[in-house]
Amino acid sequence: MAWELASFSADLLGDASVEGADVEIVLPGSPVRVTHVLDAVEPRIRPDGRAAFPTQGKSGEGRTNRLDGVVVLSCLDFAAEERPLHEQESIVDLAGPGAAYTPFAGETCVVLTFRPPEEARNDEVEVHARTETLALAERLAAATLEAEPQRVEGFELGEVDGGLPRIAALIQLSDLGPLYYQFVYGQPAGQAGLPRVIDPAELLDGAVTCGEYHWAAMRNPTVFFQRNSLIRSLYREHGERLDFAGVVLMRGYEQSADDKQRAAEAATMRAQELGADGVIITTDAGGNSHTDVMLTCRACEQAGIRTTVVLAEETDPESTRPILTDWVAEADSIVSTGNVEELVEAWTPEHVLGGDTLLDGTPAAAAGPIPVRNYLGAANQMGQLSLGALSG
Amino acid sequence: MRAVHYVNQFFAGLGGEDKAETPPTRLDGAVGPGRGLVAEGLEIVGTLACGDDYFAEHEEEALAALIGYLEELAPAVLVAGPAFGSGRYGYACGTLVAAADDRGIPAVAAMHPENPGVDAAGKAYVVPTAVNVAGMRDALPRLARLAAALAEGRDLGGPDEEGYLPRGLRRNYFAERSGAERAIDLLLGKLGGETRTEVGGGLDRVDPPAAVPELSATLVALVTEAGCVPQGNPDRLPSVRAQGWFRYDLNGEQTLAAARYESVHGGFDVTLANEDPNRLVPLDTARELEREGRIGRLHEVFYTTTGNGTPVVTATRFGREIAGELREAGVGAVLLSGT
Repeated sequence: MAWELASFSADLLGDASVEGADVEIVLPGSPVRVTHVLDAVEPRIRPDGRAAFPTQGKSGEGRTNRLDGVVVLSCLDFAAEERPLHEQESIVDLAGPGAAYTPFAGETCVVLTFRPPEEARNDEVEVHARTETLALAERLAAATLEAEPQRVEGFELGEVDGGLPRIAALIQLSDLGPLYYQFVYGQPAGQAGLPRVIDPAELLDGAVTCGEYHWAAMRNPTVFFQRNSLIRSLYREHGERLDFAGVVLMRGYEQSADDKQRAAEAATMRAQELGADGVIITTDAGGNSHTDVMLTCRACEQAGIRTTVVLAEETDPESTRPILTDWVAEADSIVSTGNVEELVEAWTPEHVLGGDTLLDGTPAAAAGPIPVRNYLGAANQMGQLSLGALSG
Repeated sequence: MRAVHYVNQFFAGLGGEDKAETPPTRLDGAVGPGRGLVAEGLEIVGTLACGDDYFAEHEEEALAALIGYLEELAPAVLVAGPAFGSGRYGYACGTLVAAADDRGIPAVAAMHPENPGVDAAGKAYVVPTAVNVAGMRDALPRLARLAAALAEGRDLGGPDEEGYLPRGLRRNYFAERSGAERAIDLLLGKLGGETRTEVGGGLDRVDPPAAVPELSATLVALVTEAGCVPQGNPDRLPSVRAQGWFRYDLNGEQTLAAARYESVHGGFDVTLANEDPNRLVPLDTARELEREGRIGRLHEVFYTTTGNGTPVVTATRFGREIAGELREAGVGAVLLSGT
């Protein structure tokens, strides 16, 4: 069944008020730095009344409306003493040198800054912020229900020439525990029956949402699933250079060596069931999720499925001996989405939203050079953006 | 564009192997291959020369003297070689350009890619040449071009574009296409028989050592990357990207009490770990094993850092430093708890 995505003018942006949060609407390119950013979400609503970010049923069917050029940025500084995020700052610069590292600088940003009560637990605060943000993204698009779309795109995988290589996308979703989960239909990735095959349109249509607040640059915010460049490119190439076989969601941060190997083999089996000749394996966050990716790469290659891996580098920019977090010999085709340790030039914003002090105590307006690592989605490991790294 | 040129005794015209013991010396203007560089438009204000054997056998003194000359001449760029396949000459060129680069003097050497001097050059530039002097005519224009670019302070492009050997550094750039589109191209290319990668791999595997022969007679140490520190984190161990490690005396303590220790690790939710820090650094169990005689003795110092967002090169340094201390203390086995 086909899915349609209808785009509407940003002028239809609805009322953005949210209880317990400050809301600012920032026009494209404003000299603003946004800090403590948890997630970025595109405003969407379904004319048939079903949820834009469903927790049951199946997305990727019928029609979904979107506001073009609008993104909701949810910001929250976890107050609790035991905050696990410590210095994992997450910044979006809407102008200045950092603007090159985000797609949001050219968009209207609805910045939500949550003000949780001091005594609230991190996990409770997070649930509130996440669900309110998704709900707001849906409300903001409500006016589209009475309007004419600017354009409508159709997503359907038709029959193609049998001689084209069958390509699947293996999308890794983190589950490292509270505050480090991605969600599939509202379930943490670890409880969502992964690895599992989904229709590519489901991924574009709100089936996967972000609750994973690890390293900002290596994060997969919700909007990067909604607008996923990899899935859209595979649709576009379907019938041209390839035969798009489908999407496998798989978990990152399996907790033991055995679990990691089992999960890698299970993801490979899903790819085999799709009849894939080749797979693109994407990564979520850093550290041991890179091991899950490498084991999956090896398992696929051993099963005769060719692989290309997408990942970011975490290399000291001054080191002449760069090395990936993990690597297997089968990983002979890797796209680098950049080195997150490189510094981005200092910039003085005119306004700061989200919080005036960075998590490491630096004033956000005078933070000096900031590593790429702290820019939301900058080195996204689904290949959403264009950052890369070269040997110099 | 003031350049200083470095050559060995042979290319300086001082003599062959019989003069390889010549100490560092300073000559006016361009000499030998330096004249070829001048013909390519470089202004050579002085030539430094040193015998290959002298440099190899008295590296510290040679380097100090050469750097002294260099600082007096204050050139916009240092050019060394070409050394072609000559190992000693190449090593001297590489070491000197690395030292100049460290002092903020732009520097470039030229030699064969397999010359050991390439490694010695570190972050300084190396222009590849043929293996022997027959490659001189080809090398000089390329060397002069890169030297001029460095002297001008121009932002250099990548190795292929500018004609230098990759130094191992990684530099970000904005590609014309998204990572996703590049991935599709790479995969289709690979399926078509042409495998390419944007980043090379490499192994940094540590083979498990042989079993400890007699654990009951071995001094055992506790080491962790779990960010476990005394309450209040008195030494300010960072929760991510630690730049070093700390050692803390156990003072005969039998357990890591929650009132006295905490984890400041920023890579996981430390709530449960902080209810019982023994689960990060298993002091309670280690003491039990010590009492039962299953381990010889517990080292009364534990080592800690935060293993979170640490580049591999940095983590390797921590490991070397900690292992060095443990070896000196006679530790024969380590219980290394990771998170």
